Amino acid sequence: MKTKFFILCFLCAVFWAIPSHSFNFGDILKEVEKSTRPPEKAQPKKEETKPAQSQAQSSEQSSGQSGGLIGLGDSLGIFDKKTSKILQQSVNTLKSLQPIAYEEEKAIGGRLAVEVFNRYGGTYDDPELLRYINLVGQAVADVSSRSDIDYHFAILNTEFPNAFATPGGYVFVSIGLLRMIETEAELAGVLAHEVAHIARKHALQTLERSRSLQGVSSLTLAVMDKDPGLFDKLIDEVSNVLFTKGLDKNLEFEADKYGREFAYRTGYYPGALKRFIQKLGASKKNQGSIFSSTHPTSRERYNLLQKSSSRYKKASLYPTLGKRYKVAIKRQN
Amino acid sequence: MRPLIYSFIFIFSGFVFTSQVAAETWYVKKSATKLQAKAKARSKVLGKLNKGTPVDVLGKSGKFYKVSAGGETGWIFRFKLTKNAPSGSSGDGDVLGALGGQQQIAARESAYGSSIRGLSPVSEEHAIKKGASPASIESVKEMERYKVDDEALDKFLEEGRLGAYAD
Repeated sequence: MKTKFFILCFLCAVFWAIPSHSFNFGDILKEVEKSTRPPEKAQPKKEETKPAQSQAQSSEQSSGQSGGLIGLGDSLGIFDKKTSKILQQSVNTLKSLQPIAYEEEKAIGGRLAVEVFNRYGGTYDDPELLRYINLVGQAVADVSSRSDIDYHFAILNTEFPNAFATPGGYVFVSIGLLRMIETEAELAGVLAHEVAHIARKHALQTLERSRSLQGVSSLTLAVMDKDPGLFDKLIDEVSNVLFTKGLDKNLEFEADKYGREFAYRTGYYPGALKRFIQKLGASKKNQGSIFSSTHPTSRERYNLLQKSSSRYKKASLYPTLGKRYKVAIKRQN
Repeated sequence: MRPLIYSFIFIFSGFVFTSQVAAETWYVKKSATKLQAKAKARSKVLGKLNKGTPVDVLGKSGKFYKVSAGGETGWIFRFKLTKNAPSGSSGDGDVLGALGGQQQIAARESAYGSSIRGLSPVSEEHAIKKGASPASIESVKEMERYKVDDEALDKFLEEGRLGAYAD
């Protein structure tokens, strides 16, 4: 009797539970994607680069609202005149510029790519190695968060360890850096870091916030063509960031996290980038190089990757493909 | 006792088989994405989908999603799909053609990627004006022309047990 009672209770519970917990596979997939997405802690606030819905409306609103608030702060003595002016200029810049479209991004990136070859030794002539770099690069780019654009990979003929990405899909790695790398997983990590800069539009974000674009509402090829001075300024500004100052530290950390994720999605050992960063930090070759001056310290990068490495379960089971790399780079044991 | 258990199994199984699995629409990230018969990289290729093709995700197994596209059901490597429609997606119209087994790249494919090729005249003129060497300009053009074909990439991934071929 007791058993029958329990079975009846169980049936009642099942009838109640099924309709009230409708099953949506999409929601589960959303969760899966969330869990496989790298943390976006360092992601800059979207609002900062988001265009206003209507240009005319936005400029009116920005001058009306923020100007009003800043003006209020000014009149109440919260800001001095200089601060108010700086704030107003920043607000105008942020509110007025439409995001840079792909065609313009490619024009800027292509020009910078010429500059990379010009400054860093031109191309390294090894067709087999170039093919290999393109295969690894394409593999990580295909699983990146921006796989719908073309990526191009090249080897620079300089012994200094270096890697660059310019907007629009151009990725460079120096022969010096390739000689320091020991496994394909490390190479994948390095290339994926550069792909992440492009996928997350790091250089463009920096440019969109720059003073050169103050007062420019929409940066099109026609605008650049009409105003060569503007294109000059843009190229100078991004060149300064990429080749001298370096990107914001947080953007580098973000590229590390996304890069590791893209390499992992491709199937490589996710600890390889961290391992290579450590090696790079200890290398004398790297000291004083442009790579070290434009990136945060290896220790900082290593520590941040280390902190979030627990999300990659069974990481050691993933391949590093050291032998295949040695064959490609023709390294003798 | 037994009739009660049987009725429970009968009623419960009815719920299981008739419960609606709400499919979610995702999109193909890149052209020539393989739709396969099984959740395995070496399984039969049913067709290749164009970039932006919407697919209904029906289930998951390992690194593959079970999807339905243009009346065909198959499996796609999960990182080839995105929840967001790529801008300028080729849309429904190209799905059937692509499922015919041919690797079609839609003529009206988005402005992204493949259709914007070559160094922009603005970039080239600027580079010349600023005294960049012709060799550097040619290197960028060469870089852009270089392309690894899908088959070679697929073979490379298979040999390294990477991507969809990973264990």
